[in-house]
Amino acid sequence: MTRILLRNKLDDCIAAWQKAGFSVLAPVRRHEMSSFGEVQKASDMAFDLVLPERTIKDHFFPQTEPLIKYKISKHQIDSETMTPPDQKRVFFGVRPCDASGLAIDDPLFGWDYKDDYWFKRRENSVIVTIVCTEADDFCMCTSVKLSPDSAKGADVLLRPLLNGAGWQVEAVSERGTALLETISPLLQENSEPTAPLPQVAEKFDVEKVMEWLADPASFESQFWKDIALRCVGCGSCTFLCPTCHCFDIQDEGDTYQGIRRKNWDSCSFANFTMHTSGHNPRNTQSTRWRQRIMHKFNYYRGKFGVNSCSGCGRCTRQCPVDMGITETLQAISTLPR
Amino acid sequence: MGIQEQYRSEAAALLSSGEVKLVIGFGAGSTADRRRPLFARTPDEAQKFVLDAACIANLSTYLVTEGLLSDGKKVAVFLKPDGIRSINILISEAQLKPEQVVILGYAIENGKEITPLEGRNISDFSIGEQIRSLTPPPHILQEAERIEEMSATERFEFWKEHFAKCIKCYACRQVCPMCYCRRCIVDVNQPQWVSTSSHTLGNFEWNLVRAFHLAGRCAACGACDRACPVNIPLRLVNYRMGKEVIDAFDYCAGENSNQKPVLASFKQDDPETFIL
Ligand code: SF4
Ligand code: SF4
Ligand code: SF4
Ligand code: SF4
Repeated sequence: MTRILLRNKLDDCIAAWQKAGFSVLAPVRRHEMSSFGEVQKASDMAFDLVLPERTIKDHFFPQTEPLIKYKISKHQIDSETMTPPDQKRVFFGVRPCDASGLAIDDPLFGWDYKDDYWFKRRENSVIVTIVCTEADDFCMCTSVKLSPDSAKGADVLLRPLLNGAGWQVEAVSERGTALLETISPLLQENSEPTAPLPQVAEKFDVEKVMEWLADPASFESQFWKDIALRCVGCGSCTFLCPTCHCFDIQDEGDTYQGIRRKNWDSCSFANFTMHTSGHNPRNTQSTRWRQRIMHKFNYYRGKFGVNSCSGCGRCTRQCPVDMGITETLQAISTLPR
Repeated sequence: MGIQEQYRSEAAALLSSGEVKLVIGFGAGSTADRRRPLFARTPDEAQKFVLDAACIANLSTYLVTEGLLSDGKKVAVFLKPDGIRSINILISEAQLKPEQVVILGYAIENGKEITPLEGRNISDFSIGEQIRSLTPPPHILQEAERIEEMSATERFEFWKEHFAKCIKCYACRQVCPMCYCRRCIVDVNQPQWVSTSSHTLGNFEWNLVRAFHLAGRCAACGACDRACPVNIPLRLVNYRMGKEVIDAFDYCAGENSNQKPVLASFKQDDPETFIL
């Protein structure tokens, strides 16, 4: 016997969480875009999405974030640190790849310096993952050794029932257990079978990829120049990626007062590595594309023991010129060696 | 022989004779309905070209890649009328030399029929009339009319909701053949003229700067609109700006390559109604 949550109890469930002080966020379609947004009732949620266009990263590491407000006067500088709202949040219906993305980024934001903006939000958030029953042509979680039912990054794991009436419920962290307590009257014992997982074919051999990337000779390979020819160097693939985390610090205002902000930045941009002297060590798109791949499947692993990719496939799905991680890694894993 | 085979062999011939150093066309994409830009430098590579009704991207954008044409050699490129229009604009803005571009033209009718266009040099194509009468697809036109009928407040809200979504990925700029500035104003950071933050105000700044910079220059290819990952209907912006320029100056960008760019030239009878 396991516990299940019925779909028709979802409105009560949201109400119970709101009563317990949480705001509830779920996949929504708003203004012609799918993303995670606050919901008041089950009918606000877009359950039919394989994956929303935007990741939940947006709610932990927003595209622009005020850090400090400052004022400079004759003899002093006044500054005020701005902290993120400490609202408790439930993220309902997160896909395993997006939840994994958070777990993948945790070590980065806590490495030599603990980034409060990230961790305050992490601590105030409970991730309710819904296991996938559908995948599209771009999904590639299995290629990066995750799966459509991975519990990585999740606090609660929901497995859709075969009859579509609800989900089997399992807490996978203390935070998850606590969250389920707030809705325990809404859960029931049941042994309904769960829906089968989608087939997500492995698209490349990630071990082979890592091996090739680790070979110093690969760095200057002609391969990079050829594969990156059509990349137009936009930030789509990085900004839509649940694990890409680069940012820039900018002061916005005038000489006397302003706001210091943390803004998303992207290794696809030429400006990203532009030196003050005008010299740019990554002065072609191929060197920038190489950086993206190396960072994800070599440097990040070297530092934090995990690849910086959760296989969501957004980088390919949304690329205006049909590039993406998948094609490159496929090509690398089939290179003659 | 179908158009695909015809263009494959033409591309191969252009490469093997050495007339062009590169052919930019389409290849198979990562799914059955996708096509991706393909660069062929050898006759063999040219055999991989795909040409069918799914080839809708405007490849002219690659021609303004820094350094591509600086050796004076020629490049051939697969182009629809909107791509040819882009070439006209780029030539009129002195960004391309007509003799460096070989055009493998094609047209797509009703979203499915694909036909070759005659001619190889930009001067072979007279697309002027066609462009003037070119209306955007019905759903865009309908949406444009709906926006026109809104009150100023409603219209502002409409765009605010859309621009609030912008993440400043600059995909719209990167795919646009007319966005060839080596240093876009938003990338100039000494001083930082336009904020890099993508809050709603910063997004308005960016999108309005871009709209103004494309007034009377847009080829209406729709590349920006398709590229935008957050589905901002950018085509509506550019369509409206284009219409404004036609109405005010009787100027339609890209009709031919001898035009003088409308905002960089002066005519005695230019309307001055906007001067207070
Ligand atoms: S791979 Fe695609 S999405 Fe990424 S920078 Fe290049 S063109 Fe943009
Ligand atoms: S690199 Fe691509 S597939 Fe991997 S997590 Fe990022 S967007 Fe998803
Ligand atoms: S603004 Fe958009 S529609 Fe106009 S030429 Fe550029 S990419 Fe094409
Ligand atoms: S493509 Fe869309 S999201 Fe990206 S900068 Fe342009 S308008 Fe903004």
